Amino acid sequence: MIKWGEIKAVLWRLDWWMVLVIMALMGAGIAFIYSACYRHDDLPVSLLYQKQIVWCGVGFGFFLTVLFVDYRRLGENALWLYLVGLVLLLLVLLVGKKVYGAYRWLSFFGIQVQPSEFAKLSTLVALAAYLGRPDRDVRRMETIAVALGIMLVPFLLILKEPDLGTAMVLVPMVFGMLFVAGMPMRILLFLLFLGMLVLPVSWLVLSPYQKDRLMVFVDPDRDPLGAGWNMVQSIIAVGSGGVTGKGFLQGTQNILGFLPRTVAPTDFIYSVIAEETGFVGSMVIMGLYVLLLSFCIRAAGAARDRFGRLLAVGAAIMMCCHVFVNLAMTVGLMPITGLPLPLISYGGSFMVGTMISLGIVQSVYVRRVER
Amino acid sequence: MMTFRRHWRILLIACVIGAAFTGLGVRLAFLHLGDNEALLDRINRTRHLEQTIVAGRGRVLDRNGVPLAMDLAVKNICVDPKVISEKGFVPFVGRNLARVLQEDPEVVLDRLNRPDRRFEYVRKFAPSEVSEPVAKMQLPGVFFEETTKRYYPQNSLMCHVVGFSNMEGVGSAGIEQRLNGYLRSTPGLRVGERDGRHREIYGRRSLEIDPLEGADVFLTLDMTIQHLLEKSMTQAMEQHQAKGAWAIVQRVRTGEILAMASYPNYDLNEYSKSTPEQRRNRNIGYVYEPGSTFKVAVIAAALNEGLVAPEDIIDCENGHWFYGNRPLRDFHAYGKLSVADVIKKSSNIGAAKVAVKLGPKALQRYLHEFGIGRRTGVDLPGEESGILHPTEKWSAISITRIAMGHEVAVTALQMLNVMSAIANDGFLMRPLILSRVQDSGGRTIFQAEPEVRGRPIREETSHTMKEILAHVTEKGGTGTKAAFEGYRVAGKTGTAQKPVRGGYSDSANIASFVGFFPVENPEVAMIVVVDEPQPLHTGGQVSAPVFSAIGGQVARYLGTRPGEWSGLMDGMMANRATSRRDELDFANVLTD
Repeated sequence: MIKWGEIKAVLWRLDWWMVLVIMALMGAGIAFIYSACYRHDDLPVSLLYQKQIVWCGVGFGFFLTVLFVDYRRLGENALWLYLVGLVLLLLVLLVGKKVYGAYRWLSFFGIQVQPSEFAKLSTLVALAAYLGRPDRDVRRMETIAVALGIMLVPFLLILKEPDLGTAMVLVPMVFGMLFVAGMPMRILLFLLFLGMLVLPVSWLVLSPYQKDRLMVFVDPDRDPLGAGWNMVQSIIAVGSGGVTGKGFLQGTQNILGFLPRTVAPTDFIYSVIAEETGFVGSMVIMGLYVLLLSFCIRAAGAARDRFGRLLAVGAAIMMCCHVFVNLAMTVGLMPITGLPLPLISYGGSFMVGTMISLGIVQSVYVRRVER
Repeated sequence: MMTFRRHWRILLIACVIGAAFTGLGVRLAFLHLGDNEALLDRINRTRHLEQTIVAGRGRVLDRNGVPLAMDLAVKNICVDPKVISEKGFVPFVGRNLARVLQEDPEVVLDRLNRPDRRFEYVRKFAPSEVSEPVAKMQLPGVFFEETTKRYYPQNSLMCHVVGFSNMEGVGSAGIEQRLNGYLRSTPGLRVGERDGRHREIYGRRSLEIDPLEGADVFLTLDMTIQHLLEKSMTQAMEQHQAKGAWAIVQRVRTGEILAMASYPNYDLNEYSKSTPEQRRNRNIGYVYEPGSTFKVAVIAAALNEGLVAPEDIIDCENGHWFYGNRPLRDFHAYGKLSVADVIKKSSNIGAAKVAVKLGPKALQRYLHEFGIGRRTGVDLPGEESGILHPTEKWSAISITRIAMGHEVAVTALQMLNVMSAIANDGFLMRPLILSRVQDSGGRTIFQAEPEVRGRPIREETSHTMKEILAHVTEKGGTGTKAAFEGYRVAGKTGTAQKPVRGGYSDSANIASFVGFFPVENPEVAMIVVVDEPQPLHTGGQVSAPVFSAIGGQVARYLGTRPGEWSGLMDGMMANRATSRRDELDFANVLTD
């Protein structure tokens, strides 16, 4: 039973600046989902933005719930959480709903859920719990191997869906956590080198559409009307924004359908923002993300124990991957992978997942030790 | 606060993240603040829309508005081989296309198996009954192009007059070629912007030039008469196993051509499969020695000059006459014949003697006046002018040969015009084939009017000739088979041996009949020419019956009243013709 005094203490120690940044990003998300669905004054705007408002509320609900749960309780149940995550990933492969050729969704009483979102978080908790034990020696090869194994099982299951983007987020996460846990620099460099060697081989296991996207990234004009379309149009959208943008609801790339309507409110929301608010707006949004990430890093630095530190670092890296990959894709620095932008892109599961991870970070932060 | 010793690893990660976002920021700055010109230019290029709007070519119609050539809305069936082969649909799409289009699957697969291409035609000009089933299948990579196809609803009927336009819509034969300027359409232009799905954004249209539809061309020809003519001609072709046959029906007073047929012919809808010989309009493009039909010009000239009278007796030397040390023979031997009978019996010697009386200069002048050796100016491409040598080039016996229609060459249309002039009180009319042109809004932008080209003979001479020529189809004449019930028919037979190397052929001749009816008030003139009828036949036996068969039907169809003005002729046309005649300066008329 949580006592009133405890609640007061938690709220007193909560990082309210972070909450403010979260709300700012959510607000921008709702506004530009509206814009992404807008076509003409006389045409009804899709109700996606209203749904997003609901998701924001649900997200905050989860955020607060996780906040008040002591993160150390998560550590005690890490194994169970991890196993539930794997079961859900298996379920989605067996009875999942196929959307655009991929099995990514499970249906619970009419609510669509992406198990990979939950699995990411449970893997984060499991890794932090495993590496966070005070007696764990991260210099030993077995420890590193087990940590990689913990990551690899959900990684492969998510890859099987297939959802390359989400799966790839796990890789920097595990390395970042190993690094912070104290893995020697030389082993890290050796593993990175090994990864470089494996990279060309991975070309062989990619599906044709994934290869297509990679080739288009190398040369967007290779197929400007097909696979390269989204990328070229996104770059055009960002570039045509100029310094201050074309104004809210004025982005022609979006309104005239050059940015496909299916991806404008989700994966390509940032190009809508960049086109309509220009350099100023896109830098403000990016600045907010940098702030958000620095708050997470601060939480890691302030954590009372190794487990908490690893949780915060892992969550930060995960968040960073999402933001970076999405922005880089929008401005043509990375191939199109279909990762949404946290807190802004339309989507329920992802919103909830992001808010839980931020809740975990704050759960660590509010239980810091003042030094 | 974090201390470096405790937290350097976390700080390093923070640095990496910071560096990554700095990189992003630089890229954003470059995109936003950098060279926007190129990007904006690119936007404008993808959005720019420039469409030509295709309009239909005008129709060709007969005098009553029956369509002879028209545009049909059809579709080109196209494929994107790259898309199809990348998705691995080549066998699937190929099989289905081949089945619906009833083509060899190998051929279709060949077209699809070109992954480097983005565009390939599978079937051009597919009518809706072919394109619709294809559209229903919704095959990937298969799309359609709207276009028009020239269609000739009457197939081969009147093919030489109507002609055809090629795949690019340019008239290449017949009326389609000659009146291409009226028929062709001017495409419009639309400039504007399009959205991401390549659809035009109506609010941003900056330029719209309407296309100009081609004008409709109405011919003087009558489908029904043409049909009657072609039916009889086909029969004659078969019956006489002829190499070719051609015929024209003309309105005497105005020069309007009511029907024109030529064999061998071809199907306009499949013009690409035809040979040049099939495409040749022999009525204007085949020059031949007319033979005895030519005698009418010679006799008319002599009568007009007052050198002979119809009753004058001419000694026909019992079929054998030496002139310039060369023999001249008649087909049947005759003793003494009147001038009228020279025509009726078609005596070569008689005609030659009249010509000699006339003399080369006068004969040459009259023939020129009748339009021999000159193009008639009909609105059809490929007209020949025929051959009439100047008198300086004539030999001693030329005058006797020209009198019987040798050493001179004409087109059937020229020969018919000579006969029409004789029937038309001596007025030589320009043959009309174009009646009027009407623009797409229904306004008449051109109206043909009868045009007098000259008056080689006087009205009295014309009347005399009509009577003389009427005897040809009466008992004892060479053209009795040209007569038909209810009308007096005038005309002249012709059987000309075809020239071969060094002389004239014994086995090949051109049999013709040219005439008009009714004699009292000629309304319709007609020429029928049969090339190399087998076994050897004369104009009286081969062409005269065709004339009779067609003439009878045409007279009934037009409601021609025997022996009087039918009144069914377009009143306006007739008035115009009369007034033009009054205006004609009589200096043109040969009276001396």
